[in-house]
This record gives sequence, C-alpha cells and structure tokens, in this order.
Amino acid sequence: MASRRRMLLKVIILGDSGVGKTSLMNQYVNRKFSNQYKATIGADFLTKEVQFEDRLFTLQIWDTAGQERFQSLGVAFYRGADCCVLVYDVNVMKSFDNLNNWREEFLIQASPSDPENFPFVVLGNKIDVDGGNSRVVSEKKAKAWCASKGNIPYFETSAKEGFNVEAAFQCIAKNALKNEPEEEIYLPDTIDVAGGGRQQRSSGCEC
Amino acid sequence: MQEAELHDLSDDADYAASQLQGSASFFRSGSSKRSSSSESDGAEIVYSKDNVTIHPTQYASERISGRLRLIKQGSSLFMTWIPYKGQRSNPRLSEKDKSLYTIRAVPFTDVRSIRRHTPTLGWQYIIVVLSSGLAFPPLYFYNGGVREFLATIKQHAFLVRSADDANVFLVNDFQDPLQRTLSSLELPMAVSVANGPSTSVSDSEPPSNENQEKADGGNFDGRSATSQYNGRHRPKIHDPARDLSIQVLEKFSLVTKFARDTTSQLFRESHGDGFGSNDRRHHNQSPLDYPHKESSDEQKVPDEIPVPSDPLEKTRCRKQYHGEEAVTNVGTFELIDCKEFDKLALVWGKPRQPPLGSEEWATFLDSEGRIMDSKALRKRIFYGGIEHSLRKEVWTFLLGYHAYDSTSAEREYLVSIKKSEYETVKQQWQSISPEQAKKFTKFRERKGLIEKDVVRTDRSLSFYDGDDNSNVYLLRDILLTYSFYNFDLGYCQGMSDLLSPILFVMEDEAESFWCFVALMERLGPNFNRDQNGMHTQLFAISKLVELLDSPLHNYFKQNDCLNYFFCFRWVLIQFKREFEYEKTMKLWEVLWTHYLSEHLHLYVCVAILKRYRNKIMGEQMDFDTLLKFINELSGQIDLDATLRDAEALCICAGENGAASIPPGTPPSLPIDSGLLYPQQDDVL
Repeated sequence: MASRRRMLLKVIILGDSGVGKTSLMNQYVNRKFSNQYKATIGADFLTKEVQFEDRLFTLQIWDTAGQERFQSLGVAFYRGADCCVLVYDVNVMKSFDNLNNWREEFLIQASPSDPENFPFVVLGNKIDVDGGNSRVVSEKKAKAWCASKGNIPYFETSAKEGFNVEAAFQCIAKNALKNEPEEEIYLPDTIDVAGGGRQQRSSGCEC
Repeated sequence: MQEAELHDLSDDADYAASQLQGSASFFRSGSSKRSSSSESDGAEIVYSKDNVTIHPTQYASERISGRLRLIKQGSSLFMTWIPYKGQRSNPRLSEKDKSLYTIRAVPFTDVRSIRRHTPTLGWQYIIVVLSSGLAFPPLYFYNGGVREFLATIKQHAFLVRSADDANVFLVNDFQDPLQRTLSSLELPMAVSVANGPSTSVSDSEPPSNENQEKADGGNFDGRSATSQYNGRHRPKIHDPARDLSIQVLEKFSLVTKFARDTTSQLFRESHGDGFGSNDRRHHNQSPLDYPHKESSDEQKVPDEIPVPSDPLEKTRCRKQYHGEEAVTNVGTFELIDCKEFDKLALVWGKPRQPPLGSEEWATFLDSEGRIMDSKALRKRIFYGGIEHSLRKEVWTFLLGYHAYDSTSAEREYLVSIKKSEYETVKQQWQSISPEQAKKFTKFRERKGLIEKDVVRTDRSLSFYDGDDNSNVYLLRDILLTYSFYNFDLGYCQGMSDLLSPILFVMEDEAESFWCFVALMERLGPNFNRDQNGMHTQLFAISKLVELLDSPLHNYFKQNDCLNYFFCFRWVLIQFKREFEYEKTMKLWEVLWTHYLSEHLHLYVCVAILKRYRNKIMGEQMDFDTLLKFINELSGQIDLDATLRDAEALCICAGENGAASIPPGTPPSLPIDSGLLYPQQDDVL
C-alpha cells in the first residue's frame, strides 16, 4: 500500500510537572533513562519511525513543560495533533486529579474536529518507585476514570525501567493513525513493532 | 594611483558599508605558517592569485599584499587569503598586524555574496559578505583576475548573479530574488531618511535580460562571467527599499573618512573570535582548520589587545598595554569614540576585552567604596565581563541589590539588615508544622514543585552534584522563601535555572536570595500567569527581525512562525540552557549592564537567528523543524561573536529598534505599579 500523504503522526504528551513525560519519551525513542533530565522549558520533540505492515510512519512525540502556567503556549504546539498522551505519577494524587484539566485544556487549545472521539491514552508512570509502596492511585481508580471518558486506553509504566513503555507507545501510534483523516489507510488489528508481549499490566488497546 | 583610489574609497557607498560591517569578521591567525600547511592536506588548489591586497588605511605604505586561493576539499570549496611574510615596507605594520587580516579557509557555505567593483580608475576589488551579514575588507586584485576568480567559484560552488545588481554574486542563495540585494546589504530597512536615491552605488548596470537569472541554477551555466564586464550603465531602479538602503549607505559614506582612519585600529584590535570562525571550527571540522593553534590564540590574544574604550581609562591603558605605536592608534580611536561618532565606532561590534580584574575594579571605587562612574563600569563589563572571583562583589551592583553610589559601610550595614530580613521571611514557611501543612495544599504543592526542580538543576556541576548536596537544599530554601516573599508570583519552572548561577557565585544564602529578588524585579513578568511578559518579548523580537532582516521576517510570516515560540527558552531563562555555565554567567553580566540597551537579550536572539538565517531559509524549515533546530543549537553558539553581532545590530537598529520594543517589556521595570502578578485560578 503506497503512502500518498505525509505519514507523520503527531503525539502530544501532557501531564503535571515531574510525572516523567521527558523520561517516557526518551525511553521509548532512545531506550535510555537518565536521572539528570532538566525540567522542560517550552517544548521539544523526538521522532521515531514506526512500521505497520509495509508502511513506515514517523511518530513525532512532543514533550511540553508541565507547569500549568505554561499552558497558554499549548496552542502553538497542540495544533495538528493525532493523539494526546496524558501522564500522571501513580505516587502523586494531585497529578491524577489534574488529568481532567489537562484533557479539557487540550481539547480547548487543539480544538480537534471531532473532540468526542479524539484519541487519548493515559499512562500511570513511576510504578517502580519504592516497590510500589508509595503508590496512592490504584489501577482500579485510574481505569474507572478512563472508562468514564470514553474508554481511554490505560497503561501502567516505568520509564526508569522501561516497563510497558513500548506497548504503551504502540497503542499511542495505533490510535494516532486511527485519527488520521486519510481514508484509504488500512488499519491492521495488530501492530507489527518489535518488543511486544508486555501488555500484561495494560487494559489493552481497544481500537 | 593613490589619488584615484582615495576617491574611490571615500565616495564608494559599498566600501562604507563594508567598513561598517567589516572588522568584526576578521579573525586572527597566529602566524602564516598555517597557510603553508593548509595546502598539504589533500586539498586541491583550484585558483591562486598573487598580489591581492588589503588597504587597511589610505596610506599606500600600509597595504598588505598576499595570495588569494580557492581550495577544493572533497565537495567543499574554501577561500584563503594569506599575507606575504617578511614584507616590511612599513615599520608600523608588524607581522602580527598582518596576520590579523588573514583569511583562513572560509568555506563557501559561510559566504553569502561577493560584490565586485570595477572602478574606471584604480584596481578591481571584491568584497566578500558572510552569511552573518558581515564582510571582509575589500580585496584589491593588483594583477587582475576577478573574473577568473568568480568563474572558478562558479565551477565549484553555487554562484548566481543578483537580479538586482549585476555586480553582486550570491552564493548559496535560496531567496526570492527581490530580496537579495537588501539582504546582502544587511541594513535596517526602516531608517527614516529623506528621499533622493543615488546612482552612485553601482557603476555597472543591469541590462534587464541579464537580471533574469534565477536562483535555480539552471540557466546561469551557459553564461560566462565575462558578460558582466561590458560596461553598460545601470539605470536607476526605483525599488523603494533599495533606494532607502542607498540613502543609508550615503549617509554612512559621509563619515567614511573617519571610518577609514579608524579601520586599521579596529582591525588590529580584532582577534580570534571573528564572526563565524568558531562555528566553522566546530562544525565543519575541515582539515584546513587548526584547532590546537586556535585555542592558544584565543587565550593569548585578550591579554595582548585590551581595548581602552573609555576616555578616562585611556591614559592608563596606553601605558600599560600598548607601545608607542598603539598610542597613535588609540588616539585615533578616541577621536571616533565620542559624541556622534560613538555610534559609528560601535557598528563594527567592538572586540571583546579580557574580563574585569580586581586591580582595575579598585580603580572604579573611591576611598569610601562608592563607584565613581557607574556608566564607565557598566561599559567595561559590557565589553569584557568580570573575572569569576570578582563576580560575587560586582553582581550585587549590576543586579541592583546595592546602589552604585553606596559606600562600603552602607553596604555592610544593608547586608546585615537584609540577612535578618531574609531569616524572617524564611521563618514563615519553616514554622509551618506538618499538621498545618496538611491543611495548606498550596504550600505543599509549591514545595513539591520546587523539590522536583532543584534536584534536576545543574546537577552535573560539581557544586550541585551528588546525593544530599547542601547547595541543592539551599536552592530549595531560597526558592521556597522567595515564593513566600512574592506569594502572588510564587514558584515557576525556570526560576531554579536563574537562581543556580547566583548561588554558585554568591555562596551565601541570604545574599543569593536578595540578588535573586533583584533579578526577579526585572524578570518576574517572564513567569507571570498570563505569560504576558513572555509574549511581549517574543513580539518585540518579531518586530526587531522585521526591522533588521526583513527577508527572514517574511520567511517566518509565510511559514507561520511569527509567534517566535522557538525563542521561548532563550528568553524565559536568559539563554541559561544555551551556553555552558561559565559562558552563561558572562552573558548575564553583560546583559545586566544595560549598557547599550536594557533589551540587549532581544538583539542576541536576533543575532543568533541571523547567524543561521541562510540555513533556516535554505532548508525551508517549518515551525516544527525550526523549533527542533533551535533547541539543538544549545551548546553550539559562539558567545563572543554573538555578542558582537548583537551589539552591532543594536546600534544599527538605533531608535527604530528601541521603538520596536513596547514600553514595560522585561527586563524594563513595569510601567504601572499596580498588581504585578494578578492571581488567577492557577493553584501554584
């Protein structure tokens, strides 16, 4: 199947400061984790080639500053997004509570053509911390919220250990592709990307 | 011959322009030995011409002759011009002076255009304009060969004649032909001058057909460069923007004599950090460059060539640093460095000086420790920065924590008062018990945010590295205290970046806090909830680019980049993430002098953008690509060269530049003293 248009899939990562947005992006794209990331100022992105059957896509993953105060900049960066990833820290209740704000803010600023069906994916990050003992947001609670927002796919991840990151981004890519208005895109049921078989903690990707 | 030449130069507007832009593009070569070895690295010499000469002054005895070469290395073409050794026609002209002018392996990717001059009397010469907008001085071809020179370039690089001016040859040109001439002239377009275009700029001419050559390179091959030598006369073209530029050039040419008189001095003061040279060294890594030699030059030169820039300093500096020969030069410099010629001198972008040291610092203080001439001090720091050991003392003035006219005793007293005042504010949050904190969400969240950020602020620096580093805790305490001191503004990401160097320099908690408070008086609006301070500054950058580089502005406009969000990080934290730590501190103290403008940082933005303008436009970067490109410039920007560019741009823009920056734009103090940080819903 020949690709006619640009096959750039734009993904925006949002969430409170310090939940691990930059780390998730770097773990997925570069398979690296560093304790020395700096707080993101403004915005940046990384790209990664992903393959669906015979077709190559460029996943453009945008990492933004987490502090609410910088949200007004979003309008410049959210435009044209194909999927929005909402990240919270399972050890910080407030970061979970804020998911709704991030979601609404995104919909206002990006103003996608079909907000009801715009694809989001939620990631609960830092499940490795303290062996899970400092966790304050349960998986059940998170899944309930996702279900209430139109069955948003949910993954629990550890950017530090690389856990479930690949699976989460496969789902993100798949959802982004679904959002592409290109009619003749063929949507496979499964995504052929290396590193599968790690979806045990996810609620799956019901695309 | 000399008479003809003098005539040519003094009335030639292009010459004036090149003079205005020229000196900073010089970089220094330690010795001409380099030149001989440059020929041995498998490079092919495709053009070589003897007796190509530079005229640093109007005196025939001070001309410097050398050999101009084009060297092909792989697919890259380089230009070199090496002065002859041992040709000492004039005792005033030392080998060192000559080597200042050496053009060492400039890749043609760094060249924007070549302007050819074929005066009816005198020698043909060319002016090579770099991508940065700056130019080498005219190269006179005593033995002819300009045509061959251009034809050779054409064979090996992308060269096309400007549609606007048959004597201008554009290298690597990707722009709309209409914009070419102006961009090569690099003059502010909005200078308000009365009408009256001149025809004197070009004594050659544009047969209209010849100007149809397009940048696509498809149809210039068949045309030999010789066709441009037919000597027809160029009719006046009534392009208003072009006319304006010509007027500006004419205006400049009125002071050409002064320019000429001081050229040699300024050129001599130029040293290793010439425009573009560092970029070339670091990025192109051509075998024609000699990094080991370079670095020793860079270290050596500042000691040798301090620039006495203030009349009060002159006598002392002369004796101290310059020989008799330099006295003369300084004298010339003095002439131009005052009153209305001050601006002219600065348009070159003065060479950077060595940092202010403690001995010199002492001379700025009276017996009671007052700074006698704060403007002279600020000027001195503007051009050279401060030695690290002295920063602790001097930053307190630059930041406005201490008044310049305070005595040592007054400052000592203030410090003690402020220390206890700091402790009082700090007590406000320290006294919050865990029980109270449970009911104080805003405090907990603010503290949490600060704690998250301080552990990721400059941890690679030994001052902040390792577990349980007490300096990291100090960062936290100061920021938390500040968020109580200025509760409305609170804490915002980026503040830890601004505080880090201050604590590193001050090494004292309370002093760092008050210096940070003083800095935030100016930069607080950067962090305002409505982001108004940021938007104002980004808007001002867009106006300045419009003024100083309209092709680039148009490019941004067409590509939906006018929000300038790609400059956001630069502005928010004053380039903290763009330079290594030491360089950041140097940049900050220069910015804090407010010597030429409170808003020099905006000109720094423009300078960096202009430095990469050809790449940005040539590669047709869209917003995303541009943002990525700018983010990845971090660590790649040559600070000294950028500062000189920024200085020149600031002078060039003049009042029009100042008028482009809305009143109250940070770091200007706010125009009204109302509620500075209006509260909104934001919980932090």
